[in-house]
Amino acid sequence: MDTLVNVAHGLGVALLPINLLYCFIGVFIGTLVGVLPGIGPISAMSLLLPVTLSGTPESGIIMMAGIYYGSMYGGSTTSILVNIPGEAASVVTCIDGHQMAKQGRAGPALGISAFGSFIAGTFSLVALMLVAPSLASVAIAFGPAEYFSLMVLGLVVLTFLTQGSMAKALLMACIGVVLGLVGLDSITAQPRLTFGRIELIDGIGLVPVVMGLFGVAEVLLNTEQAIKRDIIKTKITQLLPSKEDWKASSGPVARGTVLGFFLGILPGGGAVVASFASYALEKRLSKHPERFGHGAIEGVAGPESANNSAAGGAFIPLMTLGIPPNVVMALLLGAFVIHGLQPGPLMISQNPTLFWGIVASMYIGNLMLLVLNLPMIGMWVQLLRLPYNVLFPLIILFTIIGVYCSSNNVFDVHVMIAFGVIGYFMRKLGYEPAPLVLAFVLGPMLENNLRKSLILSQGDLMTFVERPISAICLAFALVLLVGPLLPSLRKKREMVALDEGA
Amino acid sequence: MTDQTNVKLRLNNSELWGGLIGLGLGLFVIWSGLKLKLGTINDPGSGYVLFYTGILMCAFAVSITIAAVTEGGPTFASRWQNMRWGKPVLVIVCLAAFAFALEPLGFLLSAIPLMLLLLRVIDPVRWSLAVPLSILAPLGMWWVLKHLLAIQLPSGMFEIG
Repeated sequence: MDTLVNVAHGLGVALLPINLLYCFIGVFIGTLVGVLPGIGPISAMSLLLPVTLSGTPESGIIMMAGIYYGSMYGGSTTSILVNIPGEAASVVTCIDGHQMAKQGRAGPALGISAFGSFIAGTFSLVALMLVAPSLASVAIAFGPAEYFSLMVLGLVVLTFLTQGSMAKALLMACIGVVLGLVGLDSITAQPRLTFGRIELIDGIGLVPVVMGLFGVAEVLLNTEQAIKRDIIKTKITQLLPSKEDWKASSGPVARGTVLGFFLGILPGGGAVVASFASYALEKRLSKHPERFGHGAIEGVAGPESANNSAAGGAFIPLMTLGIPPNVVMALLLGAFVIHGLQPGPLMISQNPTLFWGIVASMYIGNLMLLVLNLPMIGMWVQLLRLPYNVLFPLIILFTIIGVYCSSNNVFDVHVMIAFGVIGYFMRKLGYEPAPLVLAFVLGPMLENNLRKSLILSQGDLMTFVERPISAICLAFALVLLVGPLLPSLRKKREMVALDEGA
Repeated sequence: MTDQTNVKLRLNNSELWGGLIGLGLGLFVIWSGLKLKLGTINDPGSGYVLFYTGILMCAFAVSITIAAVTEGGPTFASRWQNMRWGKPVLVIVCLAAFAFALEPLGFLLSAIPLMLLLLRVIDPVRWSLAVPLSILAPLGMWWVLKHLLAIQLPSGMFEIG
């Protein structure tokens, strides 16, 4: 009953005209960046992070969240029609989605992808409403040791799932922690790694780092290869899936939804892992696995439901524990912090308007996305024809302005360009930026909780293993660290490795 | 015949250089941690986490370096094989020039040439589109920021904008 009252209260906030506008802007931009290859939700959210300053916290966060789940919808359009994933979570949709389009079934592929996404998005929101308050009440009992171990686990899971060498991913995470510690020490107020620069006293900003590593570096990588787009030219008709399509897809949608939600909650997991896991599950359960890769609708329905469900699930650790499970949520945490808010176990009780408003707006956003993605599909197809050589200078201009506006400081523009160049060389040498960014955000919290735990336990390291939740997290992290040394686990890791942090 | 794209103990082994750079950074972080004072385990100091993170960085960097020497790694040339490597270099040069010009010249005088260069030099867009876009996009953004959002972009020594 309490939940229903809270949802009604949240709807009151989400239905305010200004919040509806921000929600629409968010899902629209999300769909746009999902559709356009070469710019993903991370770049778009980092670009718009400064914009959240101009409105209320609710409006800003509603818009940022909209970009994330909106991009999950939009990404499938490009995968199906062009065979290029609009964003990382739609990679797997290319396999069967584009084959369906080639067979003249682009309409049902887009339709089932939108309906599956809507069903999964709705389920994950209902689950979020039910799970988050209970988890938050448990999390109140968490001490610094539990928080420290949870953050370690989150970082280890992300490095485990990052493509390529695990040693490289761990090195990146360590560099992220160090970068996060630049500036004044929160306990002793001693400046660290500032090199005498007054601009570094407050630390390095999240916005220039993320925009550099993801926005500028992505542009540099894209300019070195000519992006060719093979857009399906036939007219897209019959977007509503047939009875047979629904029959084939209902199981994959249901399984993808549940699987995606749980994978989304896990630290380090997220939409990309969920979509790959769902595809693998559907192929294994299918009576005709040979159809996969040749236009099986189950190969579109399952992964698309899973990635949307995971996007909803990923809000749980952020909202209840204050720990972002992936880079996108780390950016959202940045938006909360910009407004002087700290997500965590007390947020639901102290800021119910914000929490329930965001949750309700996500439901409204899902409805908006259904309208944006089905009747307006023609508009998105036209957008796919926008050449990259016109698009990338505009992206660079947006990043420069976005960074400058976040701090009114030219120094941050220099930082962004430097991180763009570093990010480009990192990617070329096989070092993924996702663990660095997550560690950059978690670094100060990680240090704070480690030092607090040591002070409270009077230097007794056993505090981390005597507390059950902390011990479980550390044990799991250890398994993942040692695991890749075993050939069978290494093979599994390579199968689920992410192409891009998400 | 040896595979020239995968080498072991050679100077053009990109993995080796990645590991060595990581090792250098790790040593610097350890040194910074020591300089900031470690404190004690009962009361960790400002350099405590930096010091131990530096040790971890060195450990991971050494493992990357060892793997590069024993298993070999791709050469720098192979990383850029079949790529138009000159294009990102040009973008980087344009961005560096912009970064230096932004404060003295101001946003408009530095952003317009940047846009024009990016539109014309990388994958040339026709002049009739490149010129208006490179003028109107920065000008439009400057106008929106200045008049609607009250954000002042750098105006430079000529105070334009």
